[in-house]
Amino acid sequence: MRDTQWPRFQVFHQEQPDGPHTNVGAVHAPDAELALQNARDVFVRRPDCFSLWVVPADQIFSLTAEEIEHPGPPPAPKGNGDPQRYQVFIKRTQAGSHEHVGAVSAESEPAAMGEAVRSFGTVDALVWWVVPENRIGRTGAADVGSFFGPAKDKPYRDQAFYHTTTLMRQIRGRPKQ
Amino acid sequence: MKQGKEQVILMSQGTPLQRSMVQDAANRWWWPTIMMFGPHDHDSPNSPVLIRWGIKTKTNDQLRQDFVNQVAPEVLELGLSLPDPSLHYDQASGNWLTGPIDWDEFWRVVKGDGPCNAERIAARRKAHADGEWVREALAAYAERQATA
Repeated sequence: MRDTQWPRFQVFHQEQPDGPHTNVGAVHAPDAELALQNARDVFVRRPDCFSLWVVPADQIFSLTAEEIEHPGPPPAPKGNGDPQRYQVFIKRTQAGSHEHVGAVSAESEPAAMGEAVRSFGTVDALVWWVVPENRIGRTGAADVGSFFGPAKDKPYRDQAFYHTTTLMRQIRGRPKQ
Repeated sequence: MKQGKEQVILMSQGTPLQRSMVQDAANRWWWPTIMMFGPHDHDSPNSPVLIRWGIKTKTNDQLRQDFVNQVAPEVLELGLSLPDPSLHYDQASGNWLTGPIDWDEFWRVVKGDGPCNAERIAARRKAHADGEWVREALAAYAERQATA
């Protein structure tokens, strides 16, 4: 354990109170609870975050649109075959990020993927992710104050706060000494 | 960026001590600042592919030239000087041109030559070593939660 990396978690943030969670980056952490705290430190420096999700990277079942159209050999199903809920994320553009689109119920990851494509397949998607719901760490009502309060209480100054153009104009307009 | 610019403007119009402080900062930071845009385009082999992929929108030299064109004349207007005797406005190209950049200095900095770098790395290593017991405890806790 000495100098190895902790497992990777993909981080999703919600920028509008009723907007989708979108992938914003990744953190390393020993477990989901600390992944959320690391995600807050790294990704919640601005006040436009209302909720965070973290997903262990090895729990993401991912297929590209190409792989869905031309399937390879089916992957070995994981899990015990009991139906469970999966959350579905899609990436629509090369430069974009994965965005949450909804949930499906299925007995395995490949089945969940099939269900996801059937349910949300009208949208253009480049890469699909499905994640078992019970492996997603989320901030809850009790976390809102400590997770998102500090960024909201901090004063932010946008560019217009600094009157550099006016100052320069005043200096230029002054009589030369 | 604008916060720093405002500070420079205000200091340059302040007391003689403030003016000498901001002049000292300009003397020390002008060259590192324009080095920060990276090697010249002909020494930056990855730029074309980064631009094609949309990761960069302008080359190092274009960004550096934009910065110099924007900042150099305003710094001079503030009554400050910049530590480059060759710096001048070129009518033909409409650019402010600098003298040659000391890339040996740039690479010495990048490669961590000097006592400040040794101090910085030592502080990081110490923090990492001092935190080992915390990381061990977190890992043990996560393992116990996972098997519980």
